[in-house]
Amino acid sequence: MHMKVTRRKFIQISGAAAAGLAATGLGFDLSPVRAHAQMLKTKYAKETTTICPYCAVGCGAIVHTSKKGDGRVINIEGDPDHVINRGSLCSKGAGLSGLIENENRLLEPMYRAPYANEWKQVSWGWALTEIAKRVKATRDASFERKNAKAQVVNRTTAIASVGSSAMDNEECWTYQALMRALGLVYVEHQARI
Amino acid sequence: MPGKSFFIDTSLCTACKGCQVACKQWHDLPAEKTVNRGTYQNPADLSFVTYKLVRFNETVVDGKLKWLFFPDQCRHCLEPPCEMTAEDPGAIFRDPATGAVLFTAYSKDIDTQEVIEACPYNIPRTARDGTLAKCDMCNDRVRNGLLPACVKTCPTGAMNFGDRDEILVMAKNRLATVKKTCPKAKLLDPDDVRVIYLVTEDPMLYHSFAVASNSAFDISRKVALNKLLRPLTRLTAGL
Repeated sequence: MHMKVTRRKFIQISGAAAAGLAATGLGFDLSPVRAHAQMLKTKYAKETTTICPYCAVGCGAIVHTSKKGDGRVINIEGDPDHVINRGSLCSKGAGLSGLIENENRLLEPMYRAPYANEWKQVSWGWALTEIAKRVKATRDASFERKNAKAQVVNRTTAIASVGSSAMDNEECWTYQALMRALGLVYVEHQARI
Repeated sequence: MPGKSFFIDTSLCTACKGCQVACKQWHDLPAEKTVNRGTYQNPADLSFVTYKLVRFNETVVDGKLKWLFFPDQCRHCLEPPCEMTAEDPGAIFRDPATGAVLFTAYSKDIDTQEVIEACPYNIPRTARDGTLAKCDMCNDRVRNGLLPACVKTCPTGAMNFGDRDEILVMAKNRLATVKKTCPKAKLLDPDDVRVIYLVTEDPMLYHSFAVASNSAFDISRKVALNKLLRPLTRLTAGL
């Protein structure tokens, strides 16, 4: 009987028998290496509970943040005490920390002017003022006090709001109050949490 | 045999990839650039920065389409061929408390190609500088009383972890239950490894390295050990 035995196959069938004998008692002190491997990266972190923003299940999570002053996120994982998910998280939830600690994350508002083909960075002050100015102009120009039947409506149908699915109940209330105060009737939200 | 073990019940796996992402997240490993290859299996393979990978395989069994999911990772062998091949406990060693097989930064100083070829499950991967990496059983978490990141995050109960004797009981009980509806169900190499998979079809349909098979030989592992490799066993035992 002739067989071609590759190295991988050879070790596979011989490994289990030989390994235990070969690697014992070589006399190295590995305690520093091992001690390092046992240090938990969240050991000195602050723990805060939160709700995953991604879907309607509303899983609980624990956010570990640095106590060193920068307060950056070290880790986010499922909250074992949460009644919904009992510590588990799907792939989106398990990747929550990537939403915050991400080099691709935008940290400043960006503006693309009409007919421009490039985005440019603008200040928060400029962006918020510009948005307020345009909302006010559109709203004032389109505001209807009364409808065709002379009923008081105090509305604008020129502005619509869509989103945000990542807002929680309390944020939605505040947002809804603002939109209604402006007179919006098209307020759409993919309610989840 | 003390220490810890995993039980991975693929019959409960929905391939959500929570384990894969939680592993990356805990180990602070970067994402990999991927392309659409017509499968949800992304990235295509394990790598120096991907220790855990859900493998997707579409196949037809008895005229029925099966979509098989296999959350692949290091099996933490009871007697690891990688450790034996390295012969350097500074580079590859086992934590006696958990049984975790661990690679250190010194792994770049050993013959990594030999170690990679020695692995019956094709797990270790090298960085550009030659350092080896793979699943570390989240040994830092386990030694501090936490579950491995992949097990903790699993929403379906496919990933389980605990003391080896309890995991073996869990695996055997679950196998008995699953066998009622899936007669082909079996546990993969339960006596050799600390990561025990339950599959409901031929393991080769999930992944070519699902079991430490020697099908290329057309002889069983036991026969090989008894007849072919006695000289080697004796030699190694004498070290």
